[in-house]
Amino acid sequence: MLHGRQNALKLAGVTFLGSYLTRRLALAVPTVFGVVLAVFLLIRLVPGDVVTQLVGLEATISPKRVDELRRLFGLDRPLPVQFAEYLGGVAQGDLGKSLRTGLPVGRELLRRFPVTIELAALGLLVALCVGVPVGVLAAVRRGRAADYLATGFVMVGLSIPSFWLAILLILFFALRLGVLPPTAYIAPRENLIGNLLHMILPALSVGFVLAAAITRIVRSSLLEVLNRHYVRTARAKGLAEGRVILHHAMRNALIPVVTVVGLQFGTLLGGTVIIEQIFSLPGVGRYALEGINLRDYPVIQGAVLAIALAFVLVNLIVDVCYGFLDPRIRYE
Amino acid sequence: MYVLRRLLTVLLVGGLVAGILMPSAAQAPGPRYGGTLRAGMQTDPVGLDPHLSTATATRNMMENVYDTLVMYSSQGRYIPGLAESWTTSEDGITWTFQIRRGVKFHNGRVMTPEDVVYSINRIRDPNTKSPRVQDFAEVDTVSASGPNTVVIKLKRPFSPLLAKLSSSLNVIVAREVVSRDGDLHTNPTGTGPFRFVGYTPQQRLTLVRSGDYWEVDANGRRLPYLDRIEFVFLPDAVARATALRAGSVQWIEYVPSSEVKALRADPNVEVVGGLSANFRSLYINNQVAPFNNVKVRQAMAYATDKKEIVDTALFEVGGIVATGTAIPPGNFFATTRSPYNKVDLDRAKRLLAEAGHPNGFEADLYVTSTYDFLRTPAEIIQAQLAKIGIRLKITAADWSVYLPTVFQKKYVLTILGTSGQSDPDDFLYNNFHSKAGLNLVNYADPQFDQLVEQARAVSNEGQRKRLYEQAQARLLDTVPMVFIYHSTQFEAVRRTVRGFEHWPNTSYLGLRRTWMTAP
Repeated sequence: MLHGRQNALKLAGVTFLGSYLTRRLALAVPTVFGVVLAVFLLIRLVPGDVVTQLVGLEATISPKRVDELRRLFGLDRPLPVQFAEYLGGVAQGDLGKSLRTGLPVGRELLRRFPVTIELAALGLLVALCVGVPVGVLAAVRRGRAADYLATGFVMVGLSIPSFWLAILLILFFALRLGVLPPTAYIAPRENLIGNLLHMILPALSVGFVLAAAITRIVRSSLLEVLNRHYVRTARAKGLAEGRVILHHAMRNALIPVVTVVGLQFGTLLGGTVIIEQIFSLPGVGRYALEGINLRDYPVIQGAVLAIALAFVLVNLIVDVCYGFLDPRIRYE
Repeated sequence: MYVLRRLLTVLLVGGLVAGILMPSAAQAPGPRYGGTLRAGMQTDPVGLDPHLSTATATRNMMENVYDTLVMYSSQGRYIPGLAESWTTSEDGITWTFQIRRGVKFHNGRVMTPEDVVYSINRIRDPNTKSPRVQDFAEVDTVSASGPNTVVIKLKRPFSPLLAKLSSSLNVIVAREVVSRDGDLHTNPTGTGPFRFVGYTPQQRLTLVRSGDYWEVDANGRRLPYLDRIEFVFLPDAVARATALRAGSVQWIEYVPSSEVKALRADPNVEVVGGLSANFRSLYINNQVAPFNNVKVRQAMAYATDKKEIVDTALFEVGGIVATGTAIPPGNFFATTRSPYNKVDLDRAKRLLAEAGHPNGFEADLYVTSTYDFLRTPAEIIQAQLAKIGIRLKITAADWSVYLPTVFQKKYVLTILGTSGQSDPDDFLYNNFHSKAGLNLVNYADPQFDQLVEQARAVSNEGQRKRLYEQAQARLLDTVPMVFIYHSTQFEAVRRTVRGFEHWPNTSYLGLRRTWMTAP
């Protein structure tokens, strides 16, 4: 068994993996640069800036003061100058400071990313634990009651907006039953149990939609594989059905599943904004949202940059996973 | 098991009944000491240094860590804070404050008049870059004289000084903390009832009871009652209300109008508040024809049904009808006898005809789509003014586009308002004096200007009140805008939380006298 795994690794092209990774990472540089530039320009195309947002309905800030503030924030300088300065900072690992709070964006992101990663990982866990078994069941029992139930679940799961589900979950579990805490965040190093209890509802909200997506893709790709000759062969040679499904069919059916899971995980890393807001989780999404609401340019730029990097990284991991799942995929 | 539970219930209920019938002699009268209040806040503070922030969130979480020289009471009066008493010279130039003795900072050092001088000068110093440097623009010098006296000399008489001194961001700070750390963002050290313990952004900010606090309640017992306040950040309004109902927090701020009714229906919860220090009006550009004619503006005021706007656009609870001018009813300085409190369409039509528009006219109403409370009244105003022939065309824009446009006064009609502390000068001078920065309606009335200038020059409360009454009467005569309503602000508490009082300037000084029943 061990021998076989090593073989697979070699076949997967471990020797090529190093240079492949380097190449992919090098390719990521222009991608990320493009993202930085696009975000920099796009948020400045949106009318208004941090000053008009900060002024709000404060009686004490007069129109004259607005111009002073704008100068203070350096927003009166030409765009190329602002961009060059920002890029210079990024190259040195300095993402600038929030215009609103004055806190360094890089440090804030580092503090918030673990929360978002935890939420995404737990959501994914929920999704996999539900999606894969249900998908397999639906494929194996095709056209029967279990399949219809699973397909129904997929329809419901894909149509329910996660924020609506989140509010329903809070109302039901926290308010009606009172078994789970409603919102707020507790850091895992402070109290791991408390942290996990508080993460159940957010993870369910995020995981539910994803579970539906995974169910659908597992079902369809497994169905496709189940019609293949080698599956018929496996059955013909007398293998137990469970072994046929799990060892022979699933392995080949997993490629599209991994693709979808990878993409979804990438989206989760940047896209749990609403869930983070509803459950008061101090993640990257909520940070970005606050930045957007206030036109806090360094915050938006930093958050988008971090999300883009995470996406690139996840894609890379997905690509590497392909090689392990299907030795025929090589990295030349 | 079942029997045991029954027995327990009987015992508990019996105990409760006995407790109600025979107040135990051991229990001290009045509020109970102890307990942790978990408070659900909408947003994080914007930095912790009160001198460097304008954010309401910073004020509300730090104001109980610090003290001000003069305090603003829940009745809207100026009462002693770190200054036990004060006197004003005849000419209104020299203000002398007697500083309370023996008050300690949370680091153990006794507060002195030098700390007061240092704190006010820190705000005034341009190098501090305090956003409230203008608060003390009329101050010439601040000096300590004697062991417990501070003298503030003004450039010219300026009675709103007390309002500026009572603003709970203009607090008295410990100099050594600033010289050690550079600012007060990391180690807030004040003389207030609660000591700062720690802050984790987007999670919580914790305060604990300071044993040294100077203020006592009506029975001579030391304040505050609570052992600890934990501010937790719950940005979503529905989630905040749910957290309160589920009991994971005992106090929440910013209850949206849409949630007020649901919370009022919950027997475990009480909604507190209402009044807040702001006004919302139909702004009229006074220099654009036909609105430069006072009769047109009066006609509009007579045709506007303010109650209908509050009832339909603001779910009844989102606003309090403006019965006077910019100063909210309930404020010590407010007049509430507006001739426009009753809709009079005949009179409105007559005025319009006298102004030369018997058939009305068309006009643009420019509103922001960002804040519902400023946008939803638009259609109702449109329907109301249509009754006297004024046909409004509504256009809406995002706040970031809208505000600069209105600041440049490039509009004819709009719906807007400002919020302030609660001083009448904030409401009247800042918005209507012909030279004031926020006079966005181009109102220029020499008589009004003279009244509010005079009011700045007298420090006697009664005289001020009389002058401001005249100034408000002038506003009602000349109608620079149609005053419609004052936005409300609600807090909500669980029934176990007692004694929390809502402040009309939405400060949370009420937490100083808040207590919790036994758990």
